[in-house]
Amino acid sequence: MDTKMANPRSTFDDGHRSPLAGAYTFVCSRHWTFKTGSALLALILAMVCFAQWVAPYDPAAQDLINRLQPPSALHWLGTDHLGRDVLSRLMVGGQFAIAISAITVIITLVVGTLIGVVAGRAGGLIDEVAMRVVDLLISIPDVVIAIFLIGVFGPNYVTLILSLSLIGWTPYARLARGLAKEVNAREYIRAAEILGMKRSFVILRHIVPNTIRPIAAVSFLRFGHKLITVGGLSYLGLGVRPPNPDWGLMMAEAQPYLERAPILMIAPGAMIFLAALGVTWIGHGMEIERRGASSRVAANAEEAENASP
Amino acid sequence: MPKIILQRVTILVMMLFIVSVAAFCVPLLSDGDPARTILLSRVSDLDLAPEAVEAIRKELGLDRPLPVQYLSWLGAALQGDLGYSFASRQPVAAEIARALGVSIILALSALGAALLVALPLGTAAAMRPGGKIDGFTTLVIQTLVATPEYWFAPISILVFALWLGILPSAGWQGWESLVLPAMALMLRPMAYFTQVTRASMREVVAAPYITAARARGLSMNEAVVHHGLRNGSLPVVTFFALWFAGLLGGSVVIEVIFAVPGMGRLLYEAVVNNDVPVLQGGFVALVGLSILINTLADVLYVLFNPAMRGSHGH
Repeated sequence: MDTKMANPRSTFDDGHRSPLAGAYTFVCSRHWTFKTGSALLALILAMVCFAQWVAPYDPAAQDLINRLQPPSALHWLGTDHLGRDVLSRLMVGGQFAIAISAITVIITLVVGTLIGVVAGRAGGLIDEVAMRVVDLLISIPDVVIAIFLIGVFGPNYVTLILSLSLIGWTPYARLARGLAKEVNAREYIRAAEILGMKRSFVILRHIVPNTIRPIAAVSFLRFGHKLITVGGLSYLGLGVRPPNPDWGLMMAEAQPYLERAPILMIAPGAMIFLAALGVTWIGHGMEIERRGASSRVAANAEEAENASP
Repeated sequence: MPKIILQRVTILVMMLFIVSVAAFCVPLLSDGDPARTILLSRVSDLDLAPEAVEAIRKELGLDRPLPVQYLSWLGAALQGDLGYSFASRQPVAAEIARALGVSIILALSALGAALLVALPLGTAAAMRPGGKIDGFTTLVIQTLVATPEYWFAPISILVFALWLGILPSAGWQGWESLVLPAMALMLRPMAYFTQVTRASMREVVAAPYITAARARGLSMNEAVVHHGLRNGSLPVVTFFALWFAGLLGGSVVIEVIFAVPGMGRLLYEAVVNNDVPVLQGGFVALVGLSILINTLADVLYVLFNPAMRGSHGH
């Protein structure tokens, strides 16, 4: 009793931590890029999620008398060509792009990891062919696939997500295959084999868990890439559809007023940039931690190799 | 060694086959009668006579079984006949050839400029690990990777075309119009090239032959420039091929912003005009070319590098 009274913190640490506090201490003990990236991403996510309640104006409300206003006390970032408040639209504008990118990342992550792990485990011809296919597919930009499918089927979110996933699994497959090869040589895998475990059990129970941390790091880096791709497609009018406010769409609408009101172009682009930077930093921080700071350069090179155009 | 090349070529042919089947079949999956669509594109009359639709179906052989249709389409495509554009009524192959030329120039200038920055920067960062240049490089790389090129592009138009008035804001005439699009496109490849250069140069700097060169009295810089640069830049060369293939079609947004008549804009306009033959042809050309370039780069790498005889470098 006395010892407990003397050190109340230990009881606090031993089990009564809220998940939020747990997440906080987790984040605080990480690499600085991970911390900064998480803060940035949390800020943007909070803004996007609570925009409906926080936004100063209705993002769709038009006010044609006050169109293309410069930033002022009433409209912190001015108004657009229909007199809508830019700040309010920025706050709401990430919803679709972030959701689409997140769904794509999850689909490609699962598919890619499974293909990579199975190839790495199977070895031989299957492995050889699968990895050659990955090498060839990885350089195809997903924009080309997206434009082909959207051109044929028309713009809709299912086609968009499908077309971004079609090639998107390749970096995960390459990484997971390499990791599976490493794990294959471990003794506990031999033990499981000798014990007569099923093939699927060995893969799911022993190999997949070993791939989770590196795959998570890459998935954050890919998330940034997807955000930029989705934004670009929205810019072309092939991604997020009006009347939903979206960063890419806002940039497309701002193009005719580039000289008169550059902030209409700069602000939404900056949001995409900050969101992409946030997740890139998270992924980078995770990658550095996994390998230790000494092999930071190798981590960087692997990031580059797993990045496709 | 011939075995590896044979295997690469087998997979290449297999992949090209899959791509061609996809390009042929996907448009069939969309709703709408192809014969009707084609006729509509010719006469632009919404009230089509059923006999006319049937006639065009016969004329174009759309009543034949699918495999036969595919083979005749493939046969024509292999001879360079990809049909006619719905929108311009020009042969698709000719339009693609024209656009591809523009995209190749754009991609090569963007990647060339990226290399010009990345090789010295990556090397300098590798010479002093943890130094000022190294830290600065890391920061630059992360910023560039996260920069949407379609954000950089309008800002560069604003600064260089509208405010300073020294470069054209759009179009495709003369080298001046090449500068801004190439600048926007070089950002991300530059970041990745720098990363790869830094990693491979870091290995080179620590290699025994550099120590040997230093022992002979060369300065560090001399040793690296004379003995290390060639080895260190080899991985960058393979990387170059990957990005070259990727940028041919991956520059859609930039080509649209700058009104550059390349592959990206051709595809974009095909989507806007619902021009299926151009979409099909463009897709086959871009994806096929990208697979071809990568196989070529890989075969060359194997040929010049007997140490790479194993299947994979991982």
